[in-house]
Amino acid sequence: MIHRELSRREYLQAMTAAGLATIAGGAPKLRAADAVTHPKPTADTVILLWMAGGMGAPDTFDPKRYTKFEVGVPVDKILSTFPAIDTVVDNIKLTEGLEHIAKVIDRGTLIRSHVVADLGNILHSRHQYHWHTGYVPPQTVACPHIGAWMARVLGPRNPAIPAFINIGQRLEGSGESEELKAFTTGGFIGTEFGPFNLPFPNDAVAAVKPPKGMTPARFAARHDKFKELLKASPVGGMASDHHHESMLKAIDGAHRLLTSKDRDAFDITKEPKPSYDNYNTGRFGLGCLLARRLAEAGARFIEVTTEYVPFLHWDTHENGHTTYARMKKEIDRPIAQLVLDLEERGMLDRTLVVLASEFSRDMMIEGIPGSTAKDQSRAKADKLGELKHYGLHRHFTGSGSVLMFGGGVKQGFLYGETAPERPLVTTKNPVSIRDLHATLFHAMGISPKTAFDVEKRPFYATEDGKGVPVLELFAKGQ
Amino acid sequence: MERTEPLPPRSIAMRHLFTLLAIVASAAPTLAQPPDKKTDFAHDVVPILKAHCAKCHTNGTYKGGVSFDTREALLESKSVVPGKPAMSELHARVTSTDDELRMPPPKAQPLTAKEIAVLTRWIDDGLPWEPGFTFKPTAYVAPLKPRKVVVPPAKLGLEHPIDRILEGYFAANKVTPPEPIDDMAFARRVYFDLIGLPPATGELEAFVADKDADKRAKLVAKLLAEDRSYTDHWLAFWNDVLRNEYKGTGYIDGGRKQITAWLYQSLLENKPYDQFARELINPAAGSEGFAKGIKWRGAVNASQIVELQFSQNVGQVFFGANLKCASCHDSFIDNWKLDDAYGLAAVIADKPLAIHRCDKPTGATAGPKFLFPELGTIDPAAPKAKRLEQLAALVTHPDNGRFTRTMVNRVWHRLMGRGIVHPVDVMGGKPWSNDLLDYLAVYFAENGYDLKKLMAHITTSKAYQSKAVPLAEEFTGTGYVFRGPELKRLSAEQFIDAVWMLTGTAPAKPVAPAKIPPFPDTIPKERQFVRATLVHCDELMRSLGRPNREQVVTTRPDQLTTLQALDLSNGERLTSTLSRGAANILKANPMATPSELAEWIFTRALSRKPNAAELTAANELLGDKPTADGVADLLWAVVMLPEFQLVM
Repeated sequence: MIHRELSRREYLQAMTAAGLATIAGGAPKLRAADAVTHPKPTADTVILLWMAGGMGAPDTFDPKRYTKFEVGVPVDKILSTFPAIDTVVDNIKLTEGLEHIAKVIDRGTLIRSHVVADLGNILHSRHQYHWHTGYVPPQTVACPHIGAWMARVLGPRNPAIPAFINIGQRLEGSGESEELKAFTTGGFIGTEFGPFNLPFPNDAVAAVKPPKGMTPARFAARHDKFKELLKASPVGGMASDHHHESMLKAIDGAHRLLTSKDRDAFDITKEPKPSYDNYNTGRFGLGCLLARRLAEAGARFIEVTTEYVPFLHWDTHENGHTTYARMKKEIDRPIAQLVLDLEERGMLDRTLVVLASEFSRDMMIEGIPGSTAKDQSRAKADKLGELKHYGLHRHFTGSGSVLMFGGGVKQGFLYGETAPERPLVTTKNPVSIRDLHATLFHAMGISPKTAFDVEKRPFYATEDGKGVPVLELFAKGQ
Repeated sequence: MERTEPLPPRSIAMRHLFTLLAIVASAAPTLAQPPDKKTDFAHDVVPILKAHCAKCHTNGTYKGGVSFDTREALLESKSVVPGKPAMSELHARVTSTDDELRMPPPKAQPLTAKEIAVLTRWIDDGLPWEPGFTFKPTAYVAPLKPRKVVVPPAKLGLEHPIDRILEGYFAANKVTPPEPIDDMAFARRVYFDLIGLPPATGELEAFVADKDADKRAKLVAKLLAEDRSYTDHWLAFWNDVLRNEYKGTGYIDGGRKQITAWLYQSLLENKPYDQFARELINPAAGSEGFAKGIKWRGAVNASQIVELQFSQNVGQVFFGANLKCASCHDSFIDNWKLDDAYGLAAVIADKPLAIHRCDKPTGATAGPKFLFPELGTIDPAAPKAKRLEQLAALVTHPDNGRFTRTMVNRVWHRLMGRGIVHPVDVMGGKPWSNDLLDYLAVYFAENGYDLKKLMAHITTSKAYQSKAVPLAEEFTGTGYVFRGPELKRLSAEQFIDAVWMLTGTAPAKPVAPAKIPPFPDTIPKERQFVRATLVHCDELMRSLGRPNREQVVTTRPDQLTTLQALDLSNGERLTSTLSRGAANILKANPMATPSELAEWIFTRALSRKPNAAELTAANELLGDKPTADGVADLLWAVVMLPEFQLVM
C-alpha cells in the first residue's frame, strides 16, 4: 500500500503554499491590511448555530405572558404559547422545552434586542442573505458570507481543515435554493475561502474520503500515475506559469486533505456511542457534534443550521406551537452538550458559539408595526379554533434573540429588553446586524473596518465599515 | 528663484486635488498609521501640501526640480532629510524670512505657525507617506471618438495589420516577438476559443495533413461557420455578461425575465453587435429581461432600484464603465458622478426619479442624461420608448469609440488571455497599445459590427498564432508590456464539455428555452451533444466558477483552488461521469489493447499521442486486461493534467 500519512508539519507547508498561490492570483487584495488596527482577539473559532426560517423569540428565549390553548381564546391576546421556565441565572427565563440550555446559560450571554431590517416584504432568503453577508441584497458585487471573511482574513487554524465549514443546508432541491446559493459563497473573496458544504453530518466524512467505492490503494495509485503523467508531459515549459503552478498546488493540497489523519474529525461515527447518542436528536444535533469535532481539529468558522426549507422547521406559517415543541427538542440538548463539551476540553474560552436567526415571529404582526409586508399566516383566525391556529405565524423584525457562549463574552449576562405587551419591540439596547457582526469580528480580532479593494473601491467587513462592536458584551479584561 | 502667481481658488488643478483628497478621506479608516507615528499624513499633511506646494511642485510642474508627487520623488529632489528637520531645505524655506528664499513665494500666503509645526513634525517622524498615494493624477483620459490608425505598410511575411502594428510595438518595447505555434497547438487553441471544444480526432489529423498554405484561415472560417457550435460556446460568455440564467433569484415571483431565446437566436444569426446592443437597450419582448433587471421582493437600497441596475449594467456591459460607485455618490475612483448614474437610470424610469445620495434623498430629481453628452442628448419630454430609442442610438453612435473599443477589448481578452485595456471593465484605463485598440475598434465598426469577422481577424494574426508566454505571476501593476498570448484556464462549461465529449456522457436534453437547431451532418458525431451551457448549473460547474448570474460577470477566476481540486478529486459528479465514460469507452473498443486504449484517450483528450513514458504510466493504470475502474482512473489522471485544463 502506497498510502501514507503526512506529518502535520509537511501538511502545513503544503497547504499553506497552495493557499498562498491561490491568493496571489486574481482575487481581490486586502486593502491596506497593515493599516487597520485589529482588536485583540478573544476567540479563535466561531460556531454559528443558525435557526433557519425565523425563530420566534416569545416561544424560545424571550418568554412573555403565557396563554394556554383553549378553543375560543382571541388570538390577539396571545404572546407566548409556552410557559416560562427558570434557569440557573435568576434574571433569565426561557420557555418550556429549553431545559438543557437553561442549565448552561450561566456560561453565556443572551441578547434579546436583535433588531433586523424590515425589508418591506418577507422573503426568508433575502433576510438570511442580509444576516450572513451583512449587506442587504441585491448588491453590485457578490458579497462574501461572514464565514468567508473570517477564513480569508484569519486564514485556516489548521491548514488541513477547510477554514469555513457549512453544515446542514442542502443547496439543491428546495424552494429558494438559488437565493440560498447567493450568500452561501465566498463571493468576491473567491472559492478558496468559500463554504465547504456538508449537508448531511452522517455523511460528512465522504467529502474528505476517496470517491465512494475506491480503495485507498487504488486512490493512491491513481494519484501516483497522475504525477508520472505530469512528469512525462511535453508541456513542462509552461510549468513556471502561475496558472499551471497553482493548479498543481491545488491538486496536491486536495490530495493531502484526502489522505490525512485530520479527516477523522469529519467522521462522527468515530465518536463514543454515549456522546453520539447524546447529540443525536436528528441532523441538527449531529451537526453540533460534527461542529465540535471540527472545532477541535482546527476549523475557523463553522455554521450549523436547522436547515431552511420553505414552510418547514422554524418557518411556521401554521401549527407553530406543535412545531416549536419539536424544534426545541431538536436543539436543546445538543446545544447544551456542545457548550459543556467545549468547556470540558478547555476550548470554550476561545470558541464563540452564537445562536441566531434571520428574524423573530409574532402571533399578529407581520414585519414591524406599520410595515407594508404582506401577512403570510396560513392559519388565520380571530379566535383559536384548532391547534393549527396556535403559534407564531407572522414574521417579526422588531426584536429577536441571540444567544452567545464562550469566546470572551460575559457569563450569565442578559442584554437588551423588549416590551412586555404587543408590539414586542425592542425597548433597550438595540443591536443591529451590522453591530452584531462587528461584535463577532471584534471577538475574532478583526476590525469591522477591514476592507478589500473590489473594483477599485473599498468593500468593508461590516456595511461601509460602520459596524461598532457591542463592547458591553465582553467580559472584563478582554 | 522663480516666482509664481498665488493659487486661483478653484482652478482645475484644485478640483483635481479635491478628488484626491476625497480618495484619501474615503479610505481613511484603513489608513491609520502605526501608533508611534504622530503625524497623520492624509489628514494633516496632504491639505497643507495641496494648498501651498502642489501648484508648482506636482503633476508635471516641478519648479526648481522639486517634486512632491511621491515620497520617492521628494527624497530624490533632496529637499528633505527624513528625521532631520533642521537639515531639510523644505523646513528652511518655509520658515525663512528672506523673500528670496521663502516658500511659498511672497505673493502667496506664508504658512501659519501651526502648519509649519505639522510639516516639521512630519519630517521629524521620518516623512510618513500613504503607500500608493501620489499627487500626480493617474487617471488616463480615454478618448471617445474612434481614431483611424495608419497601419504601417505590409512586408513579406508581415501582412496582417495586427502584426504590422505589433511589430513597431515590439521594437519600441524591446520585446522579442513570440514564437509561432505548430498546427496541432493552433488547432486545439482555436477550437477551444471559437467553439469551446477540442477538435474531434479525424479533424485534427486531416488538418495537420492538409498542405494548403491557407489552411489556418480556412479552419477559422469553418469553425465560425458552425453556427450552433459557436452559439453553444459563446452563450456562456453572454449569459454571464447579461446575467441571464435558466433559474435563479427573481424568477420566483416574476421579478426577472430570461432573454435566452432572443440571445440564442442573436448568436446563431451573428446579429451585428450594434443592433444587438440596441435591442437590449430599447428592447422587444424577447430581449427585455436585460433592461428590466432583477426586481427583488420588498425594499432595496436606493442604488439598487431596477432603474439604477439598468444604468450600472449599460455602463459596465457596453462601456466598461463602473457606475456602481456613482450610483450612491460621485465616484472617488473615476470621474463618474451621481448625476451620470441617475441620468442614465432616468432614461428608463416611468416617473421622475428622486436622486438619493447614499440612500438619502437629495431633493433633486434626475432627468435623462447620456454618459457622453458630446454625442447628443435625450429628450426629457419624450415618452419612455422614444427615450430608450434615443439612448440606443447614442450608445451605438458611429462617433462612440468607447462602445467599439469596449467590445473589441473583451474579444481580445477572451482570445489572448488579457485585455489591451485590463481589467476589461475599467475601460477608462490606459491600453498597452492605443494603436492596436483603436485599429480593432474601427475595423469592427467598418465591418458591420460583425463579431465573427472580428474573431477571424484576430485569430488569423501571427500574434494569436504564437506560443503562450508563461507568467510567473499575474501582472497587476502599471506598465504592462505585451509579449504574447497568455495561458487560459478552461471555463467550467468548457472543462465539462471536454469531459463529456471524451466520455460520451453529455445529458440527453437541453434546459435552455431556446430554439436550438440540429447539428448539420458535416460536424463530427463526437461534437454533436448537449453542451453544459444549455443545462442548469450543477454543483461541479458552480464549484469550477460558473457564476450565479445575479451580477454582471465578465471575467471568471483563472486559477484552480484547493476546494475545486477536491471536488474534482472525490466529488460525486466527476467520479460518476468518468465511471460511465469508462464503460462507454470499453464498449466502443471491446478488443483494444491497453496501449490502444491509452492512445485513444490521449488523442481525444489532449489532441496528441502519448509518448513512451506516458504510455508506460497509462498501461500500469489500465493493467493487462483493462477494467472500467482502470479506464476511469486513466481518464481522471488525464483530465487533471494542466495540459487538459488550460488552453495553451
